[in-house]
Amino acid sequence: MKSLLPLRAVLVTGKGGVGKTTVAASLARFAAQCGKRVLVAEIADEDATTSALADALGVAKITDEPWEIAPNLRVVALAPALGHQRFLRDVLPMKVLADAAMRAGAIRRFLAAAPTFPEMGVLYRLLDLVRTKRRDGAVEHEMIIVDLPATGHALALAQIPASLLRVIPSGPIAAAVREGLELLQDPVRTGAVVVTLPETLPVSEALELVQGIEQHSIPLAQVFLNRVPFDPFSDEERVFVRSLLDGERPPMLGARTLERIDRARVALERLSQAVSVPVGVLQDVWLEGPRLAEEMASLMAVEEVHQ
Amino acid sequence: MSSSRPLDVRPSLADAQPTFLEPLVRSKRVIVCAGAGGVGKTTTAAALGLASALAGRRTLVLTIDPARRLAEAMGIPEASRAPAPVPREKLTMLGVPVHGELDAWMLSPEVVFETMVRRLAGDEARVQAILANRLYQHLSKIVAGMQEYTAAEALYSLSTEGKYDLVVLDTPPSRNALAFLEAPRKLSMFLDERVIGVFLPAGGGQKKGAFVRAASDLAERVFTKAFGEGFYKDLQDFLGAFSGMFGGMRAHAEAVRRLLSSDEAAFVLVTSPEPAALAEAGFFQEKITQLGLPFEGYVLNRSWAYTRGFGGPEEIVLPPAAEEHQRVALRKLGQLADGERWRAQRDRDLLARLRMDAARHSLGAAARGDGGGAAIATPHLGGAVEDLAGLAELARNLVHLDNA
Ligand SMILES: Nc1ncnc2c1ncn2[C@@H]1O[C@H](COP(=O)(O)OP(=O)(O)OP(=O)(O)O)[C@@H](O)[C@H]1O
Ligand SMILES: Nc1ncnc2c1ncn2[C@@H]1O[C@H](COP(=O)(O)OP(=O)(O)OP(=O)(O)O)[C@@H](O)[C@H]1O
Ligand SMILES: [Mg+2]
Ligand SMILES: [Mg+2]
Repeated sequence: MKSLLPLRAVLVTGKGGVGKTTVAASLARFAAQCGKRVLVAEIADEDATTSALADALGVAKITDEPWEIAPNLRVVALAPALGHQRFLRDVLPMKVLADAAMRAGAIRRFLAAAPTFPEMGVLYRLLDLVRTKRRDGAVEHEMIIVDLPATGHALALAQIPASLLRVIPSGPIAAAVREGLELLQDPVRTGAVVVTLPETLPVSEALELVQGIEQHSIPLAQVFLNRVPFDPFSDEERVFVRSLLDGERPPMLGARTLERIDRARVALERLSQAVSVPVGVLQDVWLEGPRLAEEMASLMAVEEVHQ
Repeated sequence: MSSSRPLDVRPSLADAQPTFLEPLVRSKRVIVCAGAGGVGKTTTAAALGLASALAGRRTLVLTIDPARRLAEAMGIPEASRAPAPVPREKLTMLGVPVHGELDAWMLSPEVVFETMVRRLAGDEARVQAILANRLYQHLSKIVAGMQEYTAAEALYSLSTEGKYDLVVLDTPPSRNALAFLEAPRKLSMFLDERVIGVFLPAGGGQKKGAFVRAASDLAERVFTKAFGEGFYKDLQDFLGAFSGMFGGMRAHAEAVRRLLSSDEAAFVLVTSPEPAALAEAGFFQEKITQLGLPFEGYVLNRSWAYTRGFGGPEEIVLPPAAEEHQRVALRKLGQLADGERWRAQRDRDLLARLRMDAARHSLGAAARGDGGGAAIATPHLGGAVEDLAGLAELARNLVHLDNA
């Protein structure tokens, strides 16, 4: 996890339900405790009535402007409309023109509903937050952790800037897109974090995702194997238990959990061999809600000490 | 080992009783599988498709972002332009009758768009103009936010062309799993003449009012400045070429909505035993019912509820000479067994809760009038779910309660 601390933008991604939001929240708590000024972000969705990130952090709501929920820790929802507005303000000669444009119903609705424009708005908003400076000239948010939507969408998000550049090769948008793309592809500032589960298929899917990320030239920083079951057995105990269960009919309670533990071991092995970045192991914890992320953040801290 | 006392913890139902899903796969035209991320929507959709083929129907599974292994197991080519059949010999092996068919298609926005353009654009010159437009090429290759549009569109064309008795629709992993229902509304918001009109070039027979003209001027200034001269022209060309199709697209969107609201459709909510997934399932249920869509029931996937016929490690008696590490190991196995018992109880309680909820809200329950709620549990199959045989086992579990 140390390797993540110098990054400016950490993009947490993975298949549905693997624990992206939990990992983003835990990493944010961990990094904040390490003394980083952290901003943890989700992608705003006007249709959504709930926020998984808010639940994981134990806050009532997440707003379009960052607000501090703990020392060094802020949250924000990356809203496309704000991205559009900031962008227009940056490129148009007059601020009033930008504001007039955003007030015009047709333009606003076009930007909100036309495919890929919302995603570009989100990217620009991220860029904007990365660039935000404090009065003393230091960056406002040293580390921005983004809880991305499930795989399909995340990769698609990565695909947009390059594709857009083919349509709009020059002009202010192109310049902004290029800047966004540079940020996304810069291994010094940006790192993708892939989260997966300790089962066969999810690991295969994570490896496909890793490939996809590399194809889009987004630097991979870390893989997390999440929800790894606790393994109580020593090697010789394991051999004995196996001998008890093998050929046992009828099936025995406990055997399925043992198989799950075994699959988790294989999963870790497979992942470690297949990727060139660190593979972090996160235990399956019997907690939910905000206490889960707090517990996982402290487990991350303990792990640091041991390494 | 001594005799194993079977722990009867399976819900007290007669063996091999058909579930609420059994009549659905036999009679519906569309089944939508929705639920939180990663709960098993894609897997369940594939298994339901197989169950329908087993019942002798011509079935299509319209899937989104499936695991490559599942696609491989079903024999779905990765980027195919049309639904591909699961090979006949595989189907025969699984016991699918000759008139039963199973096709699968990984939704490809590019193909769906092209098909739609060809269908709605009218003449070939128009089709070529649209396909050649740079913006069109950009948009049709983008997946973000397009899966929802294209799922609705593909559902419309595939379920109306008469090739299939049943289309099982998997839904994309999005925060709002019903996003594809909203997609047509969003699309029509974007396709609204009042919005598009602002961007269309003046003239061409249509006169713009003063208000629209002012908005147009603003849009032109802003977009030309932001995107560059060339892009704004492209955008106008694109919208101009598409504008004749908007009526058709809106009509499709409405037709999809009608089909999904009709009694030929069924919504099945998939959930895992996780509190977050359950909460989301409850939220979807409310939303589906609110929208007047036919909610039929729950699938509690990856559950540990079934433990009938399992033995417990405490029945194992070690010989007096057993070593210490062996005793420790057995004790630890006992702890794992206790964990499974706990989970079994939890999942049976959950199932009971889901049944009660479904009894209150599902259409099937209301029609049957027996008060029996529609919720079933499918077992956690571990690594076994990765091939067609595993899928077949899941399919059997979905339509019949006993898989002995
Ligand atoms: N290490 C863990 N131990 C126990 N439970 C966990 C752990 N990680 C995640 N969970 C649980 O798994 C569920 C899914 O986690 P989370 O919401 O973080 O996943 P996600 O990948 O963000 O899902 P989505 O794709 O829906 O956004 C939640 O109920 C969460 O509490
Ligand atoms: N009954 C089951 N037993 C064991 N594993 C299962 C079961 N159902 C699904 N899985 C596994 O769980 C993972 C998620 O399943 P699946 O891809 O079907 O979920 P999904 O809801 O479609 O996910 P997403 O929201 O990302 O599209 C897969 O690896 C799948 O193999
Ligand atoms: Mg999440
Ligand atoms: Mg899926």
